[in-house]
Amino acid sequence: MMSADKLVKIVTEKLSGLADEIRYVESAGIIVRVKPVNLREAAHIVHDDIDAYFRTMMAVDERPLNNTFAAYYVFGRDQEGVNIIIETHADPLTPVLPTIADIVPAADWYELEAWDLLGIRFKDRKLHRFVLPDDWPEGLYPLRKDVEYTARPSPRITYKPPLQGPRLPVGPYHPALHEPEYFELFVEGERVVDVEYNGFHVHRGIEKLAESLRFTYQKVPFLAERICGICGFVHSVAYTLSVENAAKIEVPERAQYIRSIVLEVERLHSHLLWLGVACHLLGYDAGFMHSWRIREKVMVLAELLTGSRKTYGINLVGGVRKDINTYKITAINNTLAWLRSEFTKLADLVTSVPQIVRRARGTGILPRDEARKLSVVGPVARASGLDRDVRRDYPYCAYKDVSFKVPVYTEGDNLARVLVRVDEIFEAMNIIEQLLDQLPGGPIMAEEIEVPEGLIGVGNVEAPRGEDIHVIITGRGRPYRWRVRAPTYQNIPALRIMLHDAPLADAPLTIASIDPCFSCTDRIVVIDLKTGRREKLKAPSIPGGCGCKIWV
Amino acid sequence: MLRVNPLKKSVWVFHLNTGSCNACDIEILDALTPYFDVERFGIKLVASPRHADLVLFTGPITRKTLPKVVNALRAVPRPRYVLAIGACAVGGGIWYDTYSVIGGVEELKKILEENGIEIDKIVYVPGCPARPEAIIYGVAVLLGLVEQKVHGEVKIAE
Amino acid sequence: MGLKKLFKPFKLISVARHSGVVTVLYPYQKPLITAEFRGKISIDASKCMGCGACANTCPPNALILSRRDNTIILNYFIGRCIFCGRCAEVCPVGAITVTHEFELASMSTRDLNESLVHQVEKCSGCGGGLGATRRMLQYVILHSPTAENYVHLCPNCRKKRFINALVMKMGARTENVES
Repeated sequence: MMSADKLVKIVTEKLSGLADEIRYVESAGIIVRVKPVNLREAAHIVHDDIDAYFRTMMAVDERPLNNTFAAYYVFGRDQEGVNIIIETHADPLTPVLPTIADIVPAADWYELEAWDLLGIRFKDRKLHRFVLPDDWPEGLYPLRKDVEYTARPSPRITYKPPLQGPRLPVGPYHPALHEPEYFELFVEGERVVDVEYNGFHVHRGIEKLAESLRFTYQKVPFLAERICGICGFVHSVAYTLSVENAAKIEVPERAQYIRSIVLEVERLHSHLLWLGVACHLLGYDAGFMHSWRIREKVMVLAELLTGSRKTYGINLVGGVRKDINTYKITAINNTLAWLRSEFTKLADLVTSVPQIVRRARGTGILPRDEARKLSVVGPVARASGLDRDVRRDYPYCAYKDVSFKVPVYTEGDNLARVLVRVDEIFEAMNIIEQLLDQLPGGPIMAEEIEVPEGLIGVGNVEAPRGEDIHVIITGRGRPYRWRVRAPTYQNIPALRIMLHDAPLADAPLTIASIDPCFSCTDRIVVIDLKTGRREKLKAPSIPGGCGCKIWV
Repeated sequence: MLRVNPLKKSVWVFHLNTGSCNACDIEILDALTPYFDVERFGIKLVASPRHADLVLFTGPITRKTLPKVVNALRAVPRPRYVLAIGACAVGGGIWYDTYSVIGGVEELKKILEENGIEIDKIVYVPGCPARPEAIIYGVAVLLGLVEQKVHGEVKIAE
Repeated sequence: MGLKKLFKPFKLISVARHSGVVTVLYPYQKPLITAEFRGKISIDASKCMGCGACANTCPPNALILSRRDNTIILNYFIGRCIFCGRCAEVCPVGAITVTHEFELASMSTRDLNESLVHQVEKCSGCGGGLGATRRMLQYVILHSPTAENYVHLCPNCRKKRFINALVMKMGARTENVES
């Protein structure tokens, strides 16, 4: 555990030979600019020697600014709470970068996305359609600045016949799923040997829309909130934090406290929802009904605090729109007291049903070293022994003023993930009570809101599903580039390990145990695959990595 | 054209998510839970479109789900009713003009006509997300039990 | 061990009996709405001045201000509204209020459109359109009283009047010089 200055010195020592420039920006972290030939070496040093987690990668079309394509790889050291960003630029006419997916297996999906949306090619790896649909024409890269956000090549509907062979398609419309997602499980008898995720059905073009003339800085929080209907406020807060960090806007203390209180209320509702859905998938509908009955009081509380049951709409750049008065504080306290007694009974009930415990124990195991290689986040990481929590490591809003426990289990199976979430519900109630005790007075909106151009900012929030990180490059009046990386995006590649060689009956619970939120994952364009694969594949498609094949 | 017989008894519903953010979908599930309990009207969630009377449609249709949505709607036996729930399904939502979005049920109707699929009745329920009570009200309007409250109006300012 | 395990399922019965029946029998009972709930907006036709601040700030473009012939039309499409309430916050005259109305189901999207039509004021010099409504001009005069002298004229007529005044002034000076 060292201070941020010491970390800057160590990074400078180790990377000074490779880097063109190393600078420390308070809103983002240590930015190291390298040439593409040195990228692999630098990534290896940062990921393995300095032992930083891989957080996200943002690819930007910077041709209007400096005539290159840029890629920003964001790594983070949890112990100091500092980001290390490796910045590299590629040629504007034929952008090519070396792949780092064998050194950092977590970077697999990000490179596919950069290829599909921006046309940046990566050497020594297989690239295929990832996000865009089947009938999207070649050579049209939506996130490039010369393509309009309304560009719509005419759709072509072709009916694909169902695939033959020992595959079990789960989705896209399946009674167990609430969102269109498509998992292909390869089975041998009753055991699952491989899984393919064909997703991005919910891609709506949000990142491109925020750059268009229709939007301004103050309209984007409403767009960000609708990325996901279950964890929407998390995205709204992460976006406003990234803009406020970049532009150094002074947000009043009271506004930060209100944001933290609403974030914890959202965590309560999300975990109760998940618990109900998990019980439903196991066949225990009584647990589903009781947990959603308890959750209803939380929804009414949210409506009282913010004005809407979901998609609260109270967040703006620089503060919040609605204040908390004593009537609302009494309502929160009453609801928490009721909730605590009811939820203790419910948690006791659910964990005492022997069928549930036996089905959840020992299934869907994710070992600790695999979890570290993939840099998984949230309850999935905490259940596999990785002690990661953004609220404690990279503090934001009012979390530096409260104390809370971070539950960590080491088994890595489904039961551990259930218990982590149950513990987090109790912790969330404690946090809300502490925040209400220390609520400061004052205004709820900043006085000066001015956002200059060309700054980079990082905002991160601990969503109920894990770490949510937004990176923004500011432009005039609206963002120049906005990168949303939702927690489920980082967690889905871990499914391949969890489902490997497991009985088929465990698959629904395992898929649900990472708490997938596909709307968060798919917020960019859908890719379609053109390769026609017909045989079962056991080996990963990229050297050394454990990538998930995306297949249409 | 089939003569539309409004079903006054219990309707079986199929939930079709065409790319929504899930807020309307969890409000639909919320309608089944004890506080709102639509099962007292006999409404049941079915697993296959072939068993459905009513399709609960959420989401602005995305490009990738378009063929599957057409297939799913084709599988619903006549009379086909659709309840378009939420701002996304009614008007395309906050992203009605991006490259990856078709634009809601209004735009879908043209594509369905080309493919020869007819929908007998569509009711639009605005909201973002639509409350469970608003969804129940929408089902009641579709079944002909209540009259709708909104009427388009043109006022002259003076 | 045997007896305790036998009675475990009965925990559910005690939980169920303790919670009782919680159903709110909507529509026979009133729905669970709090005082803060944001429903449909209502535009007051007697206050709206057609400035378009609401249309500018509406994220999904549910409020659209358009000009046609000699009218300015404000159209509110309930179907795309996201019920955020930003329009009510930014309206300079407070013409928009947020109601608790949520029973908005309708059989056609045409019923979900509400329009407000304003007449565009005519220039008192040439009779051409000014591009603003009478209430907008009154609002400007209210906040800047000297504007009353020129706000009813279109830019061309203002130029003409200025040149005339200048010529008259110069003409008066030449008269002085002569005499």
